[in-house]
Amino acid sequence: MLQAAGAMDAAAEPDGLIAAAAGGDLAAFERLYRQFSPRVFGLCLRLTGQREAAEDCTQESFVAAWRALAGFERRSRFSTWLHRIAVHTVLARRRGLRVEYEVAEPATGLPEVADPGSEAPPLDLERAIASLPDGARHVLVLVGIYGFSHAEAAQALDIAEGTCKAQLHRARGLLAAALGLETQ
Amino acid sequence: MNESSQKSLDEQLAILPRDVAPPRNLWPGIAGRLPRSPRRARPWVYAAAAGLAGACVASALTWAVLHGRPAPGAIAVAARALTFDEPRNPRYVAARDSLELSFRERLALLDPATRARIESSLAVIRQAHEDIRRALASDPGSAVLEQLWQSTWHDELDLYDNVVRATQPTMTRT
Repeated sequence: MLQAAGAMDAAAEPDGLIAAAAGGDLAAFERLYRQFSPRVFGLCLRLTGQREAAEDCTQESFVAAWRALAGFERRSRFSTWLHRIAVHTVLARRRGLRVEYEVAEPATGLPEVADPGSEAPPLDLERAIASLPDGARHVLVLVGIYGFSHAEAAQALDIAEGTCKAQLHRARGLLAAALGLETQ
Repeated sequence: MNESSQKSLDEQLAILPRDVAPPRNLWPGIAGRLPRSPRRARPWVYAAAAGLAGACVASALTWAVLHGRPAPGAIAVAARALTFDEPRNPRYVAARDSLELSFRERLALLDPATRARIESSLAVIRQAHEDIRRALASDPGSAVLEQLWQSTWHDELDLYDNVVRATQPTMTRT
């Protein structure tokens, strides 16, 4: 449904910067950070539901990307590769900090954007997403917002594709209920 | 969920911004944690290679003392290798090559059957290393692959170390 607007944007990738960074050019890597960090931070923010955790995960993702960059063989887009690193980072962090994630207040630091033409303010939607159970939220964020295919999301999350589809269905139902859409 | 609510939800999801600017500059925190170049050696590589370099130096010194002549050039290379910082660092590569040369020299002294088994083991390790490296390149966040990748480095260096150590007494006493 939303794949066209998702993770695999059609914009040309900065091949020169990627090659330079892979060769150890820190300035080139900083430019890659400037270009890609908003998307990575947005992804981390929605996956974690917390601003501080998203900041940490964004930083860890770029550190991991730098370490692995020399082995990046361009079999996928750089952005796709980077997003997978971010997903892995979030999941790894969550496994290590499960209690913190469970007790934290969700939806802090989420973007407030103008939403003309919609009765429900986007912030409500962001909060509703952040309050979803982890499994449902992860799938909704990857597939529903960032345009991963079910196969890609299932691989990134290390779950079966059928589970991915079921979690998306569950997430959409929970979101609809939270936003009062069931009554329409 | 009915069709109308589904459409409404899709519309709301579609207008969410994919990009969200970090609320503060995260780059300084990233830059401070970056090694000097990508694919830098993991800590165990430092330890393992430093240990091997140390073993090589010790072996060469023993050899030099017993044969009454100065240590060969390989010793200096191996000694410098104690300060290397990544597998692709030229000094590390040179030291590793030197160590592999010692390994090859010792290997040549072994009987053909033993030599064949060791060569076969080395080939398996290197193939596994390459396979995992490729997998890691496409899935760089995988902790399992990372661990396996590290293990193959360790295995290769261990093999060199074992052969050099196992053959040293014979080499120095004859």
